[in-house]
Amino acid sequence: MLKLHNLSKVYRTDEVETVALDNVNIEIESGEFVAIMGPSGCGKSTLLNIVGMLDSSSSGDYVFMGENVAGYPESKLSNIRKQNIGFIFQSFNLIDELTVEENIELALLYHNIPANVRRERVAKVMDKVGIAHRAKHMPSQLSGGQQQRVAVARAVVGDQAMILADEPTGNLDSAHGQEVMEMLQALNAEGTTIVMVTHSPAHADYARRTINLFDGHVVTENLRAAV
Amino acid sequence: MFHNYLQVAFRNLVANRLYSFINIIGLAVGLAACVMIALFVRDELSYDKHWDKADSIYRLHTTFNIPGREPMHSVHAAGPAKHAFLEYFEQDVVATSRIRTFSTVVKHGDQALFESIQWTDPETADIFNFDVIAGSMKDALDDKSSIAVDRSFAERYFGTTEALGEVVNVNIYDITRDYKVAAVFEDFPENTVLDIQAFVAIDEADFVNQRWEFEQWYSTNVYMFFELKPGISIDSINDRSAAFLDTAIQIDPDAGAFTKASDFLEVRAQSIKDIQLFPQGRNGSEMKPTGSMTSVIIFVAIAVLILLIACINFMNLATAKSTQRAREVALRKVLGAHRGQLVAQFIGESVLVALIGLAVGVALVELLINPFSDFIGKSLALDYSDGATIALLLGLVAFVGAAGGAYPALVLSGFLPARVLKANKSAETSGSASLRNALVITQFAISIGLIVATSVVYGQRLYATSKDPGFSKENILVITNLSRSGMRDKQEALRQQVEQIPGVLKTSLAPDTPANGNTGNTNLIREGESDKESMLIGRQVVDHDFFDLYDVELLAGRFYDRARETDGTPLEENATDGEQQVGTLILNEAASYRMGFASPTAAIGERVRMGLGPNREAMMEIIGVVRDMQFQSMREPMRPEMYQLRTDFYLDLSIKFEGDAQPILREVEAIWRGLAPEVPFDYGFIDDRIEEEFAREEQQSVLLAVFAGLAIVIACMGLYGLASFTAERRTKEIGIRKVMGASVFDIVRLLIWQFSKPVLVANLIAWPLVAYGMVSWLESFPYRLDSWIIVPLCVVAGLIALMIAWATVGGNAARVARANPIKALRYE
Repeated sequence: MLKLHNLSKVYRTDEVETVALDNVNIEIESGEFVAIMGPSGCGKSTLLNIVGMLDSSSSGDYVFMGENVAGYPESKLSNIRKQNIGFIFQSFNLIDELTVEENIELALLYHNIPANVRRERVAKVMDKVGIAHRAKHMPSQLSGGQQQRVAVARAVVGDQAMILADEPTGNLDSAHGQEVMEMLQALNAEGTTIVMVTHSPAHADYARRTINLFDGHVVTENLRAAV
Repeated sequence: MFHNYLQVAFRNLVANRLYSFINIIGLAVGLAACVMIALFVRDELSYDKHWDKADSIYRLHTTFNIPGREPMHSVHAAGPAKHAFLEYFEQDVVATSRIRTFSTVVKHGDQALFESIQWTDPETADIFNFDVIAGSMKDALDDKSSIAVDRSFAERYFGTTEALGEVVNVNIYDITRDYKVAAVFEDFPENTVLDIQAFVAIDEADFVNQRWEFEQWYSTNVYMFFELKPGISIDSINDRSAAFLDTAIQIDPDAGAFTKASDFLEVRAQSIKDIQLFPQGRNGSEMKPTGSMTSVIIFVAIAVLILLIACINFMNLATAKSTQRAREVALRKVLGAHRGQLVAQFIGESVLVALIGLAVGVALVELLINPFSDFIGKSLALDYSDGATIALLLGLVAFVGAAGGAYPALVLSGFLPARVLKANKSAETSGSASLRNALVITQFAISIGLIVATSVVYGQRLYATSKDPGFSKENILVITNLSRSGMRDKQEALRQQVEQIPGVLKTSLAPDTPANGNTGNTNLIREGESDKESMLIGRQVVDHDFFDLYDVELLAGRFYDRARETDGTPLEENATDGEQQVGTLILNEAASYRMGFASPTAAIGERVRMGLGPNREAMMEIIGVVRDMQFQSMREPMRPEMYQLRTDFYLDLSIKFEGDAQPILREVEAIWRGLAPEVPFDYGFIDDRIEEEFAREEQQSVLLAVFAGLAIVIACMGLYGLASFTAERRTKEIGIRKVMGASVFDIVRLLIWQFSKPVLVANLIAWPLVAYGMVSWLESFPYRLDSWIIVPLCVVAGLIALMIAWATVGGNAARVARANPIKALRYE
């Protein structure tokens, strides 16, 4: 699916140079479920952003589905991203002014899909994550778990091949957290590649492989036997 | 605590430079416009209120109600009215006095200049108060060879105000007399409708050959002022004015269509204080151009609108920005601040900004007041020692500050601290968002309205001045004052020499030239009909060459012909009582219909009786009918007219030329100086004259354009501030949309659409209002733009507003749209 080769990311301000990622080499196969762990500030989110093409690397190669995308202009990245990658955030990042339905539809809005097809797919995915009865509600009327389910629905409604989840359970209680993890696992079982940043070892256990980062380096990679 | 407030206020101003700049500059421009308009309006309202007897000075106006015609209003009165009015209203009126301005030739030493001098009655010295520097007004006006001059006149001619006993030679009509200065008075202030520089006494005996000036009832040439006795109401005078006329003027009931004077004459009094703003005469009938209440109202409205736009910016930005200060408010509350204290703090801050705005605004006024004054022809100044001015300025600041600060103050102070501190997100209520929308709509509705109004006023002026008047108006130079003694006997010589100048194509000595303001009328009666059937028809006097030079189209018959001695109008002097003279006459189309002819052709060869003077008349054969032309003024409806041929007196020389006017003009002047060096040279161009009639509209359209531009600039500044604020607030949403695949273009479109909606709504509000207003405005012109023109103008103005809004919002939106979404999402 993707391959990072000697990838580095350096942040510069006038006075300080911060190395967020230092010669990272990672390969993720199609259909994998990978957890990225590590202490705060180790570069997890930076890695995820680069993988998600929301940020670019300072040096090194990023081969995505056989194409080296390092150095691609934003518009091109944006195109690849919207075809292939879905996002789930810790703080849900739903638009407050849109209903549940509209928030999910947003992921299809920029794909030139006719309105009736969009509505169909949104309805289907809402059923799948069990939020259909809240379709007309505003995000502020939902619980955290429900909001994250909307976010998951939004991430998958476009049939994305890969989902990037940045601490998806960070703002949820354990019951809701587990619910979301089970949802991700189910998606993975259907063939979606999932890359997830998490602090929770228990939730990392849902993944087949865990990458541990420390100060911008990959320190260990643990492969779990198939669950 | 106050120190803390002040510190926070200043730090906020500096931290939010863009908002502070928009607020302060917007407000400063708004206040400056307001202050200048206020000065203008105050000046307009002050006209003629300074006379000691201002409340009891009135002027008598005359209206001729001729059947079948529009009533003819005149702000003048007939000369005999002075005595008759005082006699009839002896119980009510203290004094009456006439003022008649003549354009004279004044000689002093070896210079001769045209000067306007006022002939008046001695009572003028009692009715108006003069600030006399030397001599006595009474003495000057009681003696027919004395003159009273104002300071400027004295200084110009004698170099000093100590001018008693100095002598000037004045020529008008048959009078050429030395006048001795018997009084010098201070120049009149600018805010009076009187335009006076020198007075001499009326002696009716001086005008025996011009009896129409002061002695005839149907010739209105004088301004007649009168002073009312204390306690007498002007209504009681107006109510008895018909009875006054019937007593003063005796009519022979068998002679004409009327049995008494009040059947066709009307007089009414107007307070001197109302003349400036409610002028009742034709354009140009006052001593100097007047203002109008309509202009005052328009400008007050503009000032209010501009201030409103500036205030709206202020409120909008303050409200928008305030939600970002929720945390500060919450903390202050947690630390024990009362709501009242917070309200005071926020209102105080906004008053502070308003004060800074005022300071910048006053600087702007000082910078712009002189050009503005020059443009509107007044001398306005901001007087800081004047309590009313200071009160006005501070009042404006207090109002703007309080109005701008009130809403955010009340909203902010109402925040619940726990929610604000916990929620960690913008605490904006939907109420403040919709208020802001409403305010933006108001701003743009005002701007669109001003754009449309400006273009209609401009278009109407263009239309009226470029409308075909029925004659050729280009490349015609008119030399005036040919009847002055010194030139009177050299008219033909002048004409012959002028015709030799290269570039001169044609000349005409027609006494009446287009737009010269002559409004004379003469009665015509069709042959065989009684005097009761008489029609009063407009009269212009022409020569043989007039129609050719002015390129007037002949509809039927022929023009006057030099070869036919019988062509023309018989002279009154040559007629004897009871004998009927004969002559020929050319009418315009409207007059031929008015006289009852079926067509222009049908009128040819018919005969009409025409009055030549008391008991004298002529039978005139109609030899030609010409196309209707706008001889008088584009501001007046076309009137039925006759064109009498007279070759016995000339006033003007019309010159049709080709090429550059200046060298021709110089040669004509050289010829004039050679023929009559003692007579001043004066000239004009026909197309200029026509345009001058619309000078007021021209001025208005320029001012409107300036103020509309200001309104739009201020509104755009506000929109820019608001757009950048909104984009900031929507950062998270924009980030999400980008992650979902939205392109920069998608985001820009989203933001631009958000600001297009209020502009579109503003159009819907502005269109009907401005259309209604402009249609009513246009109705005051007899020849006007088709009202439908307002429809495309509205659409264009709407598009302009939309473009401006897009340009304002677009750059900002693009910047926001290009920003990296992860920042927005991570630090949420």
